[in-house]
Amino acid sequence: MTNFINGLLRLKRAPWEMLASILIALGVVMLMQPFVMWAFTWSFMVTFVGTVMFIITSHFPE
Amino acid sequence: MSRTSPDRVARATPGPVARRLTGLSDRAIAWIFVAPTIFLLLAINIFPLIWTLRLSFTNMRVNRPNEPVEWVGLRNYQRILNDSGIWETMQATAHFLFWTLALQILIGFTLAWLINRKFRGNDLWTTIIVLPMMLSPAVVGNFWTFLYQPQIGLFNYVVGFLSGADPSSFSMIADVRLAPWAIIIVDTWMWTPFVMLICLAGLRSIPESIYEAAECDRASKWRQFWTITVPMVLPFLMLAVLFRGIENFKMFDLVVQLTGGGPGNTTEVTSINLKREAFEKWRTGYSSAYAIILFVTVFGLASIYVKALNKVKSR
Amino acid sequence: MSSYSITEPSKPQKWIAGSLVIAYALITLMPLLWIIATGFKSPADSIAYPPKVFFTPTLEGYVNLFTTRTRQTAEFLAANPPQTWYAEIVAKYDMVIAGPSRFGERFLNSVIIGFGSTFLSIFLGTLAAYAFSRFKVPLKDDLLFFILSTRMMPPIAVAIPIFLMFRQLGLSDTHLGMILLYTAVNLSLSVWLLKGFIDEIPQEYEEAALIDGYTRFQAFYKVVLPQAATGIASTAIFCLIFAWNEYAFAVLLTSGNAQTAPPFIPTIIGTAGQDWPAVAAGATLFLMPVMVFTILLRKHLLRGITFGAVRK
Repeated sequence: MTNFINGLLRLKRAPWEMLASILIALGVVMLMQPFVMWAFTWSFMVTFVGTVMFIITSHFPE
Repeated sequence: MSRTSPDRVARATPGPVARRLTGLSDRAIAWIFVAPTIFLLLAINIFPLIWTLRLSFTNMRVNRPNEPVEWVGLRNYQRILNDSGIWETMQATAHFLFWTLALQILIGFTLAWLINRKFRGNDLWTTIIVLPMMLSPAVVGNFWTFLYQPQIGLFNYVVGFLSGADPSSFSMIADVRLAPWAIIIVDTWMWTPFVMLICLAGLRSIPESIYEAAECDRASKWRQFWTITVPMVLPFLMLAVLFRGIENFKMFDLVVQLTGGGPGNTTEVTSINLKREAFEKWRTGYSSAYAIILFVTVFGLASIYVKALNKVKSR
Repeated sequence: MSSYSITEPSKPQKWIAGSLVIAYALITLMPLLWIIATGFKSPADSIAYPPKVFFTPTLEGYVNLFTTRTRQTAEFLAANPPQTWYAEIVAKYDMVIAGPSRFGERFLNSVIIGFGSTFLSIFLGTLAAYAFSRFKVPLKDDLLFFILSTRMMPPIAVAIPIFLMFRQLGLSDTHLGMILLYTAVNLSLSVWLLKGFIDEIPQEYEEAALIDGYTRFQAFYKVVLPQAATGIASTAIFCLIFAWNEYAFAVLLTSGNAQTAPPFIPTIIGTAGQDWPAVAAGATLFLMPVMVFTILLRKHLLRGITFGAVRK
C-alpha cells in the first residue's frame, strides 16, 4: 500500500494506470447497476475521468 | 535499432552510392506507408467522432432539415443520464452481459480443460466446436427464431422431450421472462468457443515442469488445480472477459434478429435502444450524446483491454 | 512428450474427457446441421410436428430462394406445361416462375464488398504494419492503440455521423461507400495481425538485401512480402469473414443497390411468414464458405480473433 502511494506521488505509470482502470470499472458498474439512480446519473462522469486519466498516465514513465 | 544497419551501410559508402542503396530515407518511407491508413481512419472514424461530439450539444433532427439547429449545451447528456428508460436498457444489457460471461467462462474453461487432456482427435473436435463463432450472427440468429418456434421448433421439441413439458406451451421469444434467456442461449452457443480457445492457449502455456515439481511435493490434484492452473490461466481469462464484455456491451445483430428488443422492451439492449432513438425517432442530437456516452465507456474498457493484452503478450 | 511423464492424463481420464467434448461438439453442431437439412425440406416438412429428421430431400427451398413466383390457374398450367426442372417443382403449387429473385444480386454484393474491402485493408495494412514493425514512428504506441480502439466502437454509434457524411458525399447505398467503411473497420485487424507476422521475420534478411544493393522498397517486396505470405493470406481471410458477416452497418446504410446478403436473408418471406426452406437454403450457401475457411484457418484462429495477442 505504501508502495502504491509512493508510486502515485512520484508519478509512476503502474499505480496511476491501476487507479484509472479502477475508476473506469467503477463507472461501468455504476452505469449498469439496478440499485440507485444517482449512481447511474454520475456513472458517465466517473468513466470519463478514468478514461482521460488513463490516456494521460499511460505516458508517465515506468 | 531498426535504422542502425542501413544507416551504417549508408555511412560506410560515399555519397551517390549511399543514395542509390537506401533510396528514400527510412523516415520518408515510414510516413508514406503509415499515412494512407491513418488518413482513412481519420476520415471514417475520427472525423465522424468529432462530428458526433458537436451534434451531441445540439437539438438537431435529421428528419426535419428545415428546423433551425439550436445549441443546447449539456442538456442532452443531462436528459439521458436522468432517463429511467435508458437506465432500464442498461440493466437489460447488464443482465445479458452477466449471464453470457458467467456461462461462457464456466463452459469455455471446462471444455478447454477437457480438451487439454489430449485425447485422440481433440484437434478435429475443437475445430467443430469453433464453427458457430465464425458465422454471421444475423443470419444464424434469424434461423434460431425458427428453432425457437413453439411446437415445430427443434429447440422447443428437444426441451419438451427432455423435460416432459409440452413443446407448444412456451415461446422463448414471445414470453417476457424467457426472451432474455433466448438471447443468452444463442450468444453462449456462439461465443463459448472463443473463451475456450483463449483458455486452451492459457493452459498450454503452463510448463509441464511446474506440475512435475508439484507432483514431487505430493500436492493433491485439487491443490495443483487451484494453485497452479487457475492463477496461470487467469490473465488469459481476463483478456477473454474484457473482449467478450466489450463485444456484448454493443451487441446488436444477434438481438435484432432474435427478439428485436421485444417483447415490450425486455430485451432492448443499448445498441437497439440507440438505434431506435437515432434511426426511428430521428433524435439526432440526443442520440449523438448517447453515442458519446457509449464511446467513452467502450474506449475506457478498451484501454484496460490493451493493458491486459500487453501483459499476456509479455509472458 | 514421453509416455512415462507423470503429468500425462490416464487412459480412462482421456476417455471421459473425449466423450464429454464430443457430446458438446455434437450439440453445438445441431443447429448448423438443422440449417443445412431444412434447406432440402419441402415447406410442409419443415414445419412438421414432431420435427422431421428423415424426409425426402427436394430442391424447393433453393428454387424459391433464387426465383420469384406467381400463382396461376389450373387451365393456364395445363396449357403451358413446365419446361424446366425448376418450373416443374413450382408447378406442383400452381405457380409459375416470374423471374429471378434478389438473392443473386445480394450475394454478389457481398462478394464485391467483401473482396474489395479485404484487398484494400490488406494493401494498406501491410504497408502500415511494415512501417510500425521496422521504423521508429513517432507516437507509435498511441497510434497502434488508436487503430485498435476504432475496432471496438459500437457500430450504431459510429453509424449516425457516417450516415450523415455518406449522404452528403453521395456514398450512401453504394459499393464504394461500403468498401471504404469495411476497410476502415478491418484496418485495425490487419495492421495488428500483420505487424505480429512481420515482427517474426528476422531483420537480418532485409539488412542483407540492403547491403546487396536493394532499396528499402525492393527489400520490402522482394524479401519481406514472400516471407509474410502465409500471414497475409490468413489475415485476408479474417478480414473477408468480417466483411462477409457484418450486419449493423449494412442494415443501416444500405437499402437496395449495395445491400449485402446478411440483411437480406432474414427478409425472405413466403406465402405465410418466413419461407424457412428458402431462408435455410440461403443461409447454407452463405455460411458454407466461412465454414470451409474456418477449417483451413484452424491453426491461425486464435491469433486472428485476439488481434494477434495470443499466438498458441
